[in-house]
Amino acid sequence: MAESDGSGDFFSPRGSGSARSRLSLPSASRNGSVSQRRQRRLSGGLGRPPASEKGDEEDEEEEEDEDDGEEPESERPRPPGSSEGGGDERHRRLIRNQYRELICSVQQNREDMLSSKSNRLTEALEEANQLFSGVSRAREAALDAQFLVLASNLGKEKANELRSEITTFDSLTFAEDLLTFMGINRTETEGNDSDSESMSGGYLPSNAWYKLGEEAEKYFRRAPSFHYMLGSFKSEPPMPRQRIERQRKAPGGEEKRAMPAQLKKMEESHQEATAKEVERILGLLQTHFRNDPCTPIFFFDLVVDPNSFARTVENIFHVSFILRDGLARLKLDDDKLPVIEPVQNVEERNDDHSARARNQVVISLSHEEWRV
Amino acid sequence: MRAERSGLREGDDEDFSVVPTQSPSQVQRNLESRSQEEINRKVTELVQFLLVKDQKKIPIKRVDILKKVIREYKDVYSEIVNRAGRTLQQVFGLQMVEIDTKHHIYILTSTLPRVEGENLKQDIQTAKLGLLIVILSFIFMKGNSAKDSAVWEFLRRLRVHPGEKHEVFGDVKKLVMEEFVRQKYLEITPIPLTDPPEFNFQWGPRAAKETSKKDILSFVAKMQKKEPSFWISQYNEAKANT
Repeated sequence: MAESDGSGDFFSPRGSGSARSRLSLPSASRNGSVSQRRQRRLSGGLGRPPASEKGDEEDEEEEEDEDDGEEPESERPRPPGSSEGGGDERHRRLIRNQYRELICSVQQNREDMLSSKSNRLTEALEEANQLFSGVSRAREAALDAQFLVLASNLGKEKANELRSEITTFDSLTFAEDLLTFMGINRTETEGNDSDSESMSGGYLPSNAWYKLGEEAEKYFRRAPSFHYMLGSFKSEPPMPRQRIERQRKAPGGEEKRAMPAQLKKMEESHQEATAKEVERILGLLQTHFRNDPCTPIFFFDLVVDPNSFARTVENIFHVSFILRDGLARLKLDDDKLPVIEPVQNVEERNDDHSARARNQVVISLSHEEWRV
Repeated sequence: MRAERSGLREGDDEDFSVVPTQSPSQVQRNLESRSQEEINRKVTELVQFLLVKDQKKIPIKRVDILKKVIREYKDVYSEIVNRAGRTLQQVFGLQMVEIDTKHHIYILTSTLPRVEGENLKQDIQTAKLGLLIVILSFIFMKGNSAKDSAVWEFLRRLRVHPGEKHEVFGDVKKLVMEEFVRQKYLEITPIPLTDPPEFNFQWGPRAAKETSKKDILSFVAKMQKKEPSFWISQYNEAKANT
């Protein structure tokens, strides 16, 4: 009979190893009859040659049931004044913790244990076997029995899968294939965990489940959810029509009124801010000129803010107001670089207003140029 | 004449039926006492009722249909239901399917063949369907039933954990164990004498009506890039099921 690694070895190591270790239990620590009965049953069940797996499992199961029933009895209260020191207690606690961990890990990785390719179940059994060698009291032995129940159930399932014609469905690869379909981005640098149950690493995109759902819809005859486009189930037809007409007329007038009011406000605040800025820059210009009347200022020196492109553009914007209002003049100097100078006297200003040729200049300044 | 087919037929009488048994001639007579307009109005109401009730995919009870829509028109119940069924089919391509013949509970399913790329609206229901199909696949491939610990372990490999809030599904445990069960997609039964309590997962009646073992096997085969016949016993089972 073809045996997979896992279930084939199920009986032999446990049988030989544990039979030996259990018989060496000091019988002084608990009720003699109970422990002997337990030992006999356990070693009897396991020591039997695996002639027919099915037969074994059934017996095992019966024994486990009885075993569980027996458990509370073997928890005898320790005689007071027991000579065990704290170290021993710690050791026992350690064993109990290890058992619990083992049980937990087996429960969490059922599928892995069941897989015919894995030896995990045997390994777990061996680990429990080793732990058992340190057990001397009922409490830890109870945990061991609990583990045994778990392991034997798994063993039974594993054997079932071998026996039946169901082509073993490998859920692990199925999960991997699903992840692939959902568009998982598997990274190369995954640390290799020693245990085979480590999940494949990678980044699952946010639309993963939507993508899978879209594919899933092809296999369902689901009625699409029905939703009214316009409103709730209870809406009455005649009312909305009137309301719609009324609404259509009303917003027209109101909106127009609302708009200008808003705009006016915005413009005002904008203008205020702009005006202030403009005045400030004008003030700067004039101050500079007062100090140094003969040197016109390079336009770009004035407007360019070495730290902020946005500020630079803003500055140009403000300066343009000054120019428009005729409060300053933009000229090209000998090097054909633009320079700016404030207009000095009031009369000139007034004259210019009418006679001045209005030139429009478009300055283009790209981010790159600004950086330079 | 009692037919086995799904859908409502007059004469559906079980223990606590609220509908009196009616022969076709009785129904005719009752019909004549009402105006066409009245009956049609009831038919329309019933269609609307069914469509709205189906939004959340919670199955619809006949008791509710009688209480909330049919009311005093109970005597022509079967006629109303038949006409409503016709409207559902002709206008929407849907049909009423009975998933519980004892308590008379219905769902709506689509009778139209799926068309490639037809779903323009991808919402959370789409994502939930993705989760559902993997659970149904797992259950079927494992022999039509699976223990909850096995199902959750499988889902863990897809980054879905019952204890954690999932970025798409939120409270996954609630979704799987309550919503899907209420919608009759899944049937979850406790296994006796287990402590802590364990559960058995199976397909629910809605799953059986909205999809099939053959469909799900095709899905699995497509994901794994194999032929459905690769899994011999599941394949045979699916074939026998149609």
